[in-house]
Amino acid sequence: MLLLANILIDGIAYGMVLFIIAVGLSVTLGLMRFVNLAHGAFAMTGGYIAAWLVREQGLSFYLGVPLAVLATGLLGALLEVTVLRRLYRRTELQQVLFTIGLTFLFVATANLLAGPEVQLIPLPPALSHAVDLGVRTLPAQRLLVIASGLLVVLAAYWVLNRSRFGIWLRATVDNTAAASALGIPVQRVYVLTFAVGAALAGLGGILGAELMPLEPYYPVKYLVLVLVVVAVGGMGSIAGSLAAALTLGIIDTASKYLASDWGSLFFFLAMAILLAWRPQGLLTARKA
Amino acid sequence: MKRSLPYLLLVALAALIYFVFPDQLPLAARIATMAIFVMSLDLVVGYGGLATLGHSALFGIGAYATGLLAMHVTGNPLIGLLAGALAGALLALLSGLFLLRYEGLTFLMLTVAVGQIAQNGASKLRDWTGGEDGLTGFEVQKILGMWSFDLYGKVAFVYCFVVMLVCLWAMRRLMGSPFGLSVVGIHQNRLRASAIGGSVRGQLLKLYTLAGAFAGIGGALNAQVNQIVGLDTLGFELSADALVMLVLGGAGNLFGAIGGTAAFMLIHHTASAINPYHWLFIIGGLLVFVVLVPRARLFEALRQRVMRALPVAREVA
Amino acid sequence: MRFQMKLVGTIAAAFAMGSVAAETIKVGIIAPFSGPFAHYGALFKAGAEGYVANQGGKLAGKDIEFIYRDEGGPNPANTRTLAQELVIKDKVDYMGGVVFSPNAFAVAPVIQASKTPFVVFNAATSDITTKSDYYVRTSYTLWQVTVPMAQHAAKKGIKKVITAVTDYAPGVDAENAFKAEFAKQGGEVVESIRMPIRTTDFAPFAQRIKASGAQAVYVFLPGGPPNLGFVKAYNENGLKAAGIEFLGTAETDEFDLQKFGDSALGLTTAFHYSAAHDSPANKVFADAVAKVNKDAVLNYATVGAWDGMAVIHKMIEATGGQRDGDKAMAAIKGYQWESPRGPVSIDPTTRHITQNVYLRTVEKGAGGLMVNKEVQNFGPQVDHGLRK
Repeated sequence: MLLLANILIDGIAYGMVLFIIAVGLSVTLGLMRFVNLAHGAFAMTGGYIAAWLVREQGLSFYLGVPLAVLATGLLGALLEVTVLRRLYRRTELQQVLFTIGLTFLFVATANLLAGPEVQLIPLPPALSHAVDLGVRTLPAQRLLVIASGLLVVLAAYWVLNRSRFGIWLRATVDNTAAASALGIPVQRVYVLTFAVGAALAGLGGILGAELMPLEPYYPVKYLVLVLVVVAVGGMGSIAGSLAAALTLGIIDTASKYLASDWGSLFFFLAMAILLAWRPQGLLTARKA
Repeated sequence: MKRSLPYLLLVALAALIYFVFPDQLPLAARIATMAIFVMSLDLVVGYGGLATLGHSALFGIGAYATGLLAMHVTGNPLIGLLAGALAGALLALLSGLFLLRYEGLTFLMLTVAVGQIAQNGASKLRDWTGGEDGLTGFEVQKILGMWSFDLYGKVAFVYCFVVMLVCLWAMRRLMGSPFGLSVVGIHQNRLRASAIGGSVRGQLLKLYTLAGAFAGIGGALNAQVNQIVGLDTLGFELSADALVMLVLGGAGNLFGAIGGTAAFMLIHHTASAINPYHWLFIIGGLLVFVVLVPRARLFEALRQRVMRALPVAREVA
Repeated sequence: MRFQMKLVGTIAAAFAMGSVAAETIKVGIIAPFSGPFAHYGALFKAGAEGYVANQGGKLAGKDIEFIYRDEGGPNPANTRTLAQELVIKDKVDYMGGVVFSPNAFAVAPVIQASKTPFVVFNAATSDITTKSDYYVRTSYTLWQVTVPMAQHAAKKGIKKVITAVTDYAPGVDAENAFKAEFAKQGGEVVESIRMPIRTTDFAPFAQRIKASGAQAVYVFLPGGPPNLGFVKAYNENGLKAAGIEFLGTAETDEFDLQKFGDSALGLTTAFHYSAAHDSPANKVFADAVAKVNKDAVLNYATVGAWDGMAVIHKMIEATGGQRDGDKAMAAIKGYQWESPRGPVSIDPTTRHITQNVYLRTVEKGAGGLMVNKEVQNFGPQVDHGLRK
């Protein structure tokens, strides 16, 4: 019983970290149909900026983190306006290659500016202790991640389904030409969406840094993990990404408790089975 | 005559390397080996239109099969190549039966999964594969009973180059056959191809299996020349690197695959000898540039100019 | 047939050429200079160049020319090509470096055929040195540091230990070493956990360790982010509070040490080098390396390269700068010197370094920086992996 509780607690906490790192990609890849393998680079950028603001500049964590998220969003917008928007109509392969190239440039830059060491974001006292859950303890930071993850899901749901921007976005994705003809500022919708995707990546980089430490090779190391979550969740489905992240997080954690000798085999087998079962995404039934 | 000219040119190039750069033969042998792998990837990506990031699984299993064969059964190099080809083809066939039911990003992610599972498996079977230390201690016999590998890489270079030429010839024959044309037709329009008749998935499976055989041959060469097989031969990085090489040279053209491989590896080798820290800037910049400046503007113009100048090149493309 | 004859001729000619005493000795260093392990390359470079600078820029009256090549990550095919090129194109007299074991194995046929002495600065699989007569190693093996740790644990009265190692060859080595020695000492390894190499979340393993009822956990991790992650999980899941002792080796390595913060305080490890080792030789080492590269951390990689150059120094002295691999190798068997880590020597049969292993505890030193404080000297240790 304790084992089951442990698996669920650690699995959900881990799954939420996966989700918060992956959700930004679900936005750009799913909603904009842009294969953005540079997603990890944005996550790293957010983390590095936060580390710099909080550790080097002495800003408070609660101020530094939103600023870093904002800065990452702005960087995303800048890149969208200058280069990325030329690539929307290219083939998947070309988008893959361009964003891999971009990732390499980010890696090299991070290494040049900050060196190969791990960058730490100092946590405020309120987050750096463990919380007693009754059966066991859990670091407070993990609770913040879980709360943030839920918040992101709710906010995304509201924006997509209830706000005017959400209507614009869905219209633009469905038919850009028609949306444009109806007076929807298509380009602005794209910039904003991409910026939000980048900002979410930055948030994930910061909040996930406890498990996936920030270093120059961050964007390459965790790319596969992030892609797996998005692919299993189904592109563009934020709830799907959440379901996928939690499922994979729990499966991976269970394998660590019960069969760690098999390594990451379970994680990838689970992914293959889930993808084979629901190629369109966990929450989308297979189309005939 | 016209058909054999590109091969003659390649042989002339090899002779030039052999006599003018005798101290670069180990590198040249590696390029030839890698070129076979990248050409095999070209069959899948360039001709078949299937974007994969798990191709190294086919390379690596060929390498391990050859190494294990040499260790436990026979060190005959040609039998080793055959074993590599068979192992690559078998894995491609088995995984292809599953993979080819999916398309696009799902297919891509599943190829990653196959690659990771293969690498994980090889790491787990460390009694057989040596795990992270690599598979070592196998002997490769003299090639055709006459030449053994030397310190200077002369025999290795000639051997790898000849095998590369044979693979190139075989792949070109294959892609020029009705089967090859039908694969290109599927790539261009899956729906139409299936409407015309014939099983799309069957054709792609055949293509994937054949590509697996060639990738396995590349892996076999790698094992024989280096006398060690590491887990990196199954790794994600190798798949990604090969994809970059292919795109640098131009997908859908086997000569481009060879050129891209040579360019990538030469740049890597030179750049990392000068300043390894900045290697990622160079390769990242190159990738960004190649995509941003469309080939229609750069490479096509260049290629057309070359074609006009050389009657051979037209036949090649 | 004629082809083969010609080949033998060129090789003979090349070596005949090399046997004239040269004024400049060329040393090829193969190390990761790019990729996630690039800091090893920088540290090797600082250690090796620091050694030469400290000797006044010359070794045994000869100028030293370093040629650096990038092994990247584990990639034996690439490493073999680089070694071949160093031998046939750059005509190096000695080679050194190599972080990854498969890469070290790949070089064996090249150095055996060309009789080029190769000083392994890091790669730690025990039987590497058996693959060629021209290998000598100045780093450590997991058996070497783990056996004294297991003895210490038993002596301290610890009866039940759980091992938790990263699931790859060095981790398996570490696990085997601990299990074998601890059993010999009458202790019990209650459970052996192998953690997948891609693990980022160590909480489940911490919970398993806690539930196992062991008094101590023997740990092996590959360095970098996993170290931070494991130690964090060790603290956050209450293992430290529960008094489950941490027994490690390279986990508190100086390269990562400051990143741990207070969470590292009290961790115990058995290892051959600490930057806090109190000896004149270590001060000389620290000053010399700082002059070459002020950012260079002093750790096992830096000291491995430094002592590697001490070995090459001895070989140059013995051969008078002539290219004679056999004479050079003969000269260093049994060679003893004072290293920054303490007195060391080269074991004549295994060609692996014999050195003191120390028990250390992480403490806050001067200026609030974390240090590995040596609290006990286990005395000279051979490579127990090859000498078992």
